[in-house]
Amino acid sequence: MDGRKRRARSEFLWGWGLILPAIVGLIILNIIPIFQTIYQSFFKTGAFGRSYVFIGAQNYQKLIQDKDVFLATINTFQFVLLEVPVSIILALILAVLLNRPMRGRSAFRTIIFVPMVAAPAAVAMVWKWLLNSKFGLVNHFLNSIGLSSVDWLSDSKVALLSVAIVGIWSILGYNMVLFLAGLQEIPHDYYEASEIDGAGFWAQFFHITLPMISPTMFFVMITRIISAFQMFDFIYMLIGEQNPALPHTQTLVYLFYKHAFLQNNRGYGAAIVVYLLGIIMLITVFQMWAQKKWVYYA
Amino acid sequence: MKKQLAIGLAALLAAASLAGCGSSSGSGTAATAAKTEGEAAAAASDSATSETSASTSGQDSSDKSDVTLTVAIWDKGQQPGLQKIMDDFTAKTGIKTDIQITPYKDYWTMLEAAATGGNLPDVFWMHTFQVATYAQYDDLLMNLSDRIANDPEVDMSKYPEEFVKAFQNPNGDQIGIPKDRDTAAVWYNKDMFDEAGIPYPTADWTWDDFREDCKKLTKADGSQYGLAMKPGSDQEGWYGTIYAYGGYVISDDMKKSGFDDPNTLKGLDVIQRIIDDGSMPPYSQQADNDPLALQEAGTVAMTFQGSWAASELSVNDYLKEHIAIAPLPKGPKGAVTMSNSLAWSGSAQSKHQDEAWELIKYLTGEEAQKKQAELGVTLSAYDGASDAWAKSQPGFDLQPYLDAMDNAVLYPHSKNTNVWYTMMKEKLVSVWDGSARMDDTAKDIAKEMNADLAEE
Amino acid sequence: MNRKISRGGKIIIYVVLLLVAFVMVVPFAWMILTAFKTQTESTQMNPFLIFPTAFRTEAFVQAWEELNFGRLYLNTFAMIFIRIITCVVTSDMAGYAFARLKFKGSKFAFGLVLFQMMVPEQIFVIPQYLMLSKIHALNTIFSLCFPGLVSAFGVFLMRQAYMNMPRDLEDAARLDGCNIGQTFLFVMSPLTKSSKIALCIFTALFGYKELLWPMIANTDNNMTTLAAALAKINGQHLTRYPELMAASCIACLPMILLYLVFQKQFIEGVANSGSKM
Repeated sequence: MDGRKRRARSEFLWGWGLILPAIVGLIILNIIPIFQTIYQSFFKTGAFGRSYVFIGAQNYQKLIQDKDVFLATINTFQFVLLEVPVSIILALILAVLLNRPMRGRSAFRTIIFVPMVAAPAAVAMVWKWLLNSKFGLVNHFLNSIGLSSVDWLSDSKVALLSVAIVGIWSILGYNMVLFLAGLQEIPHDYYEASEIDGAGFWAQFFHITLPMISPTMFFVMITRIISAFQMFDFIYMLIGEQNPALPHTQTLVYLFYKHAFLQNNRGYGAAIVVYLLGIIMLITVFQMWAQKKWVYYA
Repeated sequence: MKKQLAIGLAALLAAASLAGCGSSSGSGTAATAAKTEGEAAAAASDSATSETSASTSGQDSSDKSDVTLTVAIWDKGQQPGLQKIMDDFTAKTGIKTDIQITPYKDYWTMLEAAATGGNLPDVFWMHTFQVATYAQYDDLLMNLSDRIANDPEVDMSKYPEEFVKAFQNPNGDQIGIPKDRDTAAVWYNKDMFDEAGIPYPTADWTWDDFREDCKKLTKADGSQYGLAMKPGSDQEGWYGTIYAYGGYVISDDMKKSGFDDPNTLKGLDVIQRIIDDGSMPPYSQQADNDPLALQEAGTVAMTFQGSWAASELSVNDYLKEHIAIAPLPKGPKGAVTMSNSLAWSGSAQSKHQDEAWELIKYLTGEEAQKKQAELGVTLSAYDGASDAWAKSQPGFDLQPYLDAMDNAVLYPHSKNTNVWYTMMKEKLVSVWDGSARMDDTAKDIAKEMNADLAEE
Repeated sequence: MNRKISRGGKIIIYVVLLLVAFVMVVPFAWMILTAFKTQTESTQMNPFLIFPTAFRTEAFVQAWEELNFGRLYLNTFAMIFIRIITCVVTSDMAGYAFARLKFKGSKFAFGLVLFQMMVPEQIFVIPQYLMLSKIHALNTIFSLCFPGLVSAFGVFLMRQAYMNMPRDLEDAARLDGCNIGQTFLFVMSPLTKSSKIALCIFTALFGYKELLWPMIANTDNNMTTLAAALAKINGQHLTRYPELMAASCIACLPMILLYLVFQKQFIEGVANSGSKM
């Protein structure tokens, strides 16, 4: 009894001692700013963090009626629904194809992963240049096979798709490598046993591969969805102002940036972030709950 | 093996980088300290000098050579010229400067964060769009009024009055001294004019002529258009049309939008017609490419360009070969150019305000202003200092920009300009891409702009 | 998936993979090809030019003169190096405690970690800037490192790593008389090396890609990072495509080289981060 108590006390002390540096760091760097942001969302703010006026929930009332916020919410969801599933499915297909001995396997793996290590400003610049409606390589290619040009970045029906394509291009290799690792953990005898039972490729895929890889899938989904909701860099660099597609591509984080940084309305910007944070939390909690239904732990 | 290599490489880089930091600040001061010590010792050994004077002289020299003023600007194009001028300043005064460039898009975020944290650069560029935001507090921008009054070398009457006033706070104190000015002109492609068989523009051409020329310079197959201009080409382009027709963007008291004024609408109608004529490339091309890029690619005959763009002329081979410069077209009120000025402001939070003032005074003084024009950095704000600028780009006659000064209007702004300015550009995009009409949109802009102005 | 695949199937697989690889490579190839062109060539339409008429290096020279790349490389790598050390140490400790120790408040503290991961990083910029400006530490290597000194993702990742380890090792160590600290330091921590490599890689990539922070906090052109400097010239020369592409090439090169040299570590590292939740 005494020993267990001592053990508990020592775990308590060691536990807090070990997490202290990380937790103190996170509180200073992140948690305090988060609460400052929530606090700010109830104020009308002037520039330079001065002349705060408490206005209660007015920023939120404005937010509910703001057409831009409504559109940005739709854009953000559209982007998530485009980028996450496509990048996951494509990555899974590639991982399955590469998960067997074959010539050039590691070369393919290396090449598909390369976009992950490129500077985002460079990625955005080169894609902007590739997709340029007038001078771009992509439209030149389309024209040369007899198709007409597409306004990739300025047609409001296409622009979000283009941004998603760039997003998928950059992240595909990362997802694929994760899936490859997941696939390699599946014991060979599972497949051998099922082959004896006469299971075909698809039966194996749905009954062995998918369930066995579901934990990886879950990890990829949770982290990818969160970061897709926080999409900013590519919109900022690919679309930009004076682009007719901007209202149909700007995400909530972009809108936050616009209000808080360009228009010095930090209070309203803060309200937008709190709103986005609420959405992300809801979805993450839902995923945590839903994982019990579909994620298979060996 | 690879792992060892990695560790070795990382350690090497870290060591190198730490050494790098040290040399930029630490050893610099150490060197100066050693120098002053040496001087003091030399002075002390000189039997004639008393102990006190030795130490003060030592102090003096350390004061000057220790100070490095941080200078913030956003235009990389101006850096080389400004650096030369700053070098002159350092040679004269011993005060060093360090120019830091942040692109315009991020400059104001940087500056606002800096102001909030009490970290403003010692000397920096101020824009008419932003000055009111900064002027509302006393502890951000250095109040220059007393220094100006006590310094016989500074004569504010040498700068255009509207610029001087634009950089005053609500109490009438000077918080920035104009550094430059800008005007607008048309860059046209001589060879395209020749090919279309139309005469080059003269100082007498009107907006109607301009529109006709645009039409004639546009080819049906889409390989060439008369004009490239974006909603954001306001300062060098279509604002000028509004004023040429007697309209206005904002009332003089900055309380009311001019977008619903009948004359404004007349001016904007010219733009609508140019759009309807199909004389501009499809908007998608303009959304992806700056007007200048389209001109450099030989796909448009004309663009509006502010004087700040002139340095591009001597950089780009295509422009050198094909481009000439014409004044803006005339309307009922003549050819009206927007004219704006940037100012040098100092930080009220700086520890080196005396040195900062020295620098501002130098940069806005006659000598540096003349040099600024000569080097082709920009037109200067100082009276009569800009003449050399007309010849600063070899092979081009920039005189139309200088002539434009005679009928110039201060670039419209208010206390919180960016709010309505961004809204205006966003709304106009739908006129440009053909999904809305100019007059409806202009009235819409007027309504929202009035609401924004009421909130200021 | 071990079954024999027919010849036709193999060809289809190769075609698919080659197509994907092609799409991955084209942007980089275009970057390089454009960098060797003159500006006129880069926007030439009739005929459209895929290859430059000659491999000119002017754009590279201009880009190199424009940006102080040597210094930028140093800053970027110094920042990454320091962040890696602090992140790995703090995340390792915290990850172990969260995974293996039962103590009051641990759930709450871990909740804070998870919560932080959901917040868009843009909101941290101004508050963190103000903290640094109070201690006059802007425009230093420290300020470059600051937002990434600890990492919620790192804590999360290391917790995963320790969760997956068998209990008996710890028990054996305890029987040998090790206290918790000794068990962690000498027995457990050495076993999570692969997750730590993963964390190093993520820290490096994250630092390398960060944009807004270095632009705001380190305005001095000699104290900023590759990514931020690159974004800066993007805003400056809208029309000089060859120069922009040349600068992009130079900025991407070191990371790509590192990746090619250490690709086994990179890929294994990333693979290890996806372990079970």
